[in-house]
Amino acid sequence: MSGVDIFTPVEKAARLLSKLDVDFYDVFASFSRTLSISILGRGIREAYSRVDVGIGVRVFKNKGMGVAFSQSLEDTDVEATVKKAVGFARAAQPDPYFKGIPGPSKAPEVSGLCDSAIVHLTLEEAGGFSKEMIDAAERVRGGATFFGGFGASHARGYLVASTGVAVEVEKTLASAYIQPIYREGGDVGSSYEFDYAVSLSEIDPHWIGRQAAEKAIAQFGSRRIESGFLPLILLPEASASLFSSLLSALSGEAAAKGRTFASNTLGKQIGPEDLEVLDDGTIPGAIASSTYDGEGVPKKPLRVVEKGRVLSFLHNSYSAGIMNVKSTGHAIRGGYSGNVGAGPSNIRVKPGDSALDEIISETKRGILVQNASFSPNMVSGEFSTTIDEGFLVEDGVKKHPVKNLMAGGHILDLFKNIEMISKEGRTFGKGHFFPAVKIKDVKLSGK
Amino acid sequence: MVPILRDLLESIVEGGLAKGASFCEVRYFEERSSGIGVENGVAKVLSSGILRGIGVRVIVDGRWGFASTNVVTKESAEKALTDAIGCARSITAYSGEEARIIEVEPSVDSIKHEVKINPEDIDPEGKVKRVLELEKAARGFSDRVKDVFVNYRDVLTKVAVCNSLGTFVEEIAPRILISCRVIAKEGDNMQEGYERIGNVAGYELIENISAEDFSLKAAKRAVDLLGAHPPPRGMYTVVVDPKVGGLFVHEAIGHNSEGDLVFSGGSIISDKMGQKIASDLVTIIDDPTRDSYGRFTYDHEGVRARPHTIIRNGVLVGFLHSLESAAKLGGKPEGSARAQSHHYPPIVRMSNTYLAPGDMSLEEILEDVDVGVYLSGSQYGYVESEKGQFTCKVEEAWLIRGGEFTERLRDVAVSGLTLEALKNITAVGRDLKVEMPGMCGKSGQSMFVDAGAPHFRIDGIVVGGRR
Repeated sequence: MSGVDIFTPVEKAARLLSKLDVDFYDVFASFSRTLSISILGRGIREAYSRVDVGIGVRVFKNKGMGVAFSQSLEDTDVEATVKKAVGFARAAQPDPYFKGIPGPSKAPEVSGLCDSAIVHLTLEEAGGFSKEMIDAAERVRGGATFFGGFGASHARGYLVASTGVAVEVEKTLASAYIQPIYREGGDVGSSYEFDYAVSLSEIDPHWIGRQAAEKAIAQFGSRRIESGFLPLILLPEASASLFSSLLSALSGEAAAKGRTFASNTLGKQIGPEDLEVLDDGTIPGAIASSTYDGEGVPKKPLRVVEKGRVLSFLHNSYSAGIMNVKSTGHAIRGGYSGNVGAGPSNIRVKPGDSALDEIISETKRGILVQNASFSPNMVSGEFSTTIDEGFLVEDGVKKHPVKNLMAGGHILDLFKNIEMISKEGRTFGKGHFFPAVKIKDVKLSGK
Repeated sequence: MVPILRDLLESIVEGGLAKGASFCEVRYFEERSSGIGVENGVAKVLSSGILRGIGVRVIVDGRWGFASTNVVTKESAEKALTDAIGCARSITAYSGEEARIIEVEPSVDSIKHEVKINPEDIDPEGKVKRVLELEKAARGFSDRVKDVFVNYRDVLTKVAVCNSLGTFVEEIAPRILISCRVIAKEGDNMQEGYERIGNVAGYELIENISAEDFSLKAAKRAVDLLGAHPPPRGMYTVVVDPKVGGLFVHEAIGHNSEGDLVFSGGSIISDKMGQKIASDLVTIIDDPTRDSYGRFTYDHEGVRARPHTIIRNGVLVGFLHSLESAAKLGGKPEGSARAQSHHYPPIVRMSNTYLAPGDMSLEEILEDVDVGVYLSGSQYGYVESEKGQFTCKVEEAWLIRGGEFTERLRDVAVSGLTLEALKNITAVGRDLKVEMPGMCGKSGQSMFVDAGAPHFRIDGIVVGGRR
């Protein structure tokens, strides 16, 4: 199936559209092959193989947009999809913010985005990865039941636009996740570990399994604690949601139209002087890298936060048009369904100068947060979230896991109250980098 | 169903058995959808899509294999069968969860949910006009309304299931969902209101909507929330409305009763069958036959759907089952296995899940509450089922003092422990509503569901707050 021709249907659709009375169009088709192994209960449960193809068409007429897609690349279905999108574009109403779609640009190729080991991966090998995660967890402690899996996919896409853009993309992805659940009487010890990467060699199933088991066992004996104001130390897995939320709120139409909590932060100080966030979609071999964005605009590194100050939004062509600036190359195309949004690529938060051990040891009383989502209400910025996995720290020592504990506040207050940034952190998918951060005086709801 | 397609599915099942499968299931899936997105009086985008394909699932040597394709041809379906068998064989060398199913009587049937007005008979301009009317009502509500978005979507889903037990069922179901999101602004303060209406229905659902019950409601909530206060924090008695109650029932107990989570050790109630796990006032039912968004007649394993009781008067009496979980747990499948599309195997899902009504009025429920929080409108929730810890995010709330609503509150979320919370339900109202149409995510699959409850009261719930 790897020989599925996505070029001919795209060119056919473009040819049909070029003869019609429309203002702009783009056509995108993709092919992907996915192998996955699911883990459930006592071990490996199921193996899947999936082949997905589809074509999506966006048509603009008088600033109105029509979108149609089909999972069939047959001639008649491509024709019907084009016809539908054109009819819809004519029925849609003018969007005063629409200024057009980008023209062609040439960019140096970002290397290392397609791993032949994934392209040629067999199910037996995928099963072996899953088994290694389970075995590693079992070696830490036997008797768990599991959730999890391993997946690997290889995708190719082709984008053509009426403006002359013609971009081919090819990318691989591997991901692994395991959640062991241990039970001791009425107590439960459960946690998870995961990793994802463009290349298979970047994933270490043994490390994932061992980490997951050690984290799960550490969750035994969780206790409720009193409500109060305490500092939080967010480990990289938790700080990731904080920084990702900020960059999402600085992205695209919602940011440009003043609909997110970060819309009015442009040029303003939101955090300490040592807070720096870079978005870089050009890192070779990284998970969120590509030569071009979803509209064919070259990817470039973008300094988003420097010395604690917000420097830029992340634009696609539509949101850039609203603010009369150039696209920053952050268009994200949601496959062949035709939707194009905007969002971050590889998010890199600059490490600080404090060792994580020191941050913990200097904490009189606080919560070390291993897993929790700090994604707020994207409009108001207010959040109220459960600390899914965390530990009470007293006199610089990690004491016991906490349960049924919530944190609440405004996400911009969390940034404002960042006290320390660790020099260590975790790199995800060879691209994102998040350190641990200590945030003072967070309101906690417990018993 | 086109006879030729039925012949194709049956030939693949026969081929699967001939190649050594002890069970073979072939599922055809087709989904035609169309949508309209309106923003501030402009129908910016109209869209449509067609998903179509075949998924093949087999048991070979005690292991599951699954493969899918978008290409509905004999050659492609045969390739998917070969891949599915290859998938199962690829993992036989590894120890793990054995694949087995319960043998049920085969079903042969064809179901088409009839509608009064087929959405495809309404031209795009007509739909745009109606959606704009609903949107306009919200925009005109107040000068503090900053943005209004209305999204309309109709979906026609065809599913045909053919398996080696002799089952061949097909079902065609239309669904409509319309949502309205309003952002209100005053200075730097921005708040949102959200409403959605959906059901297994035709376009008549849209024609019968009144702005008062839909877009105006969302606008009013967004504007009212501008003057709301952050909630207090700590442990409180809460009174929940039918939407928050539905979210609680879905997250706190519904997921824990899913048979696949139970047999795999991921549920907090896996060893509690027949035990008292909730207060006497609690009866929880999952009913796929109820006239709500999660309605269907056959599940995606071809099993006839029936209402199933999970908790009766506080006692755990049933889990939701697939063919596999019924075999492993000794239960009876009643139609709880569904798949997002041909690209996914069926897994255990809820349908329309609700807390059965009691006999109290809201006033009676409130009157004993000295200090508490009233929670209204659900945003989202999730559960760590293995620990039994759930979180529900609500749209708006009120502080209750002396049985009366006092301050309006915003950005409220609550967290609780399932087994404690179920026992702490101390009052249940008579005003059941199942009006939470939406999608539930599990194992990477998204599925149509609904949920609801009457008003009810729970003691000892952690309210997350900012003061």
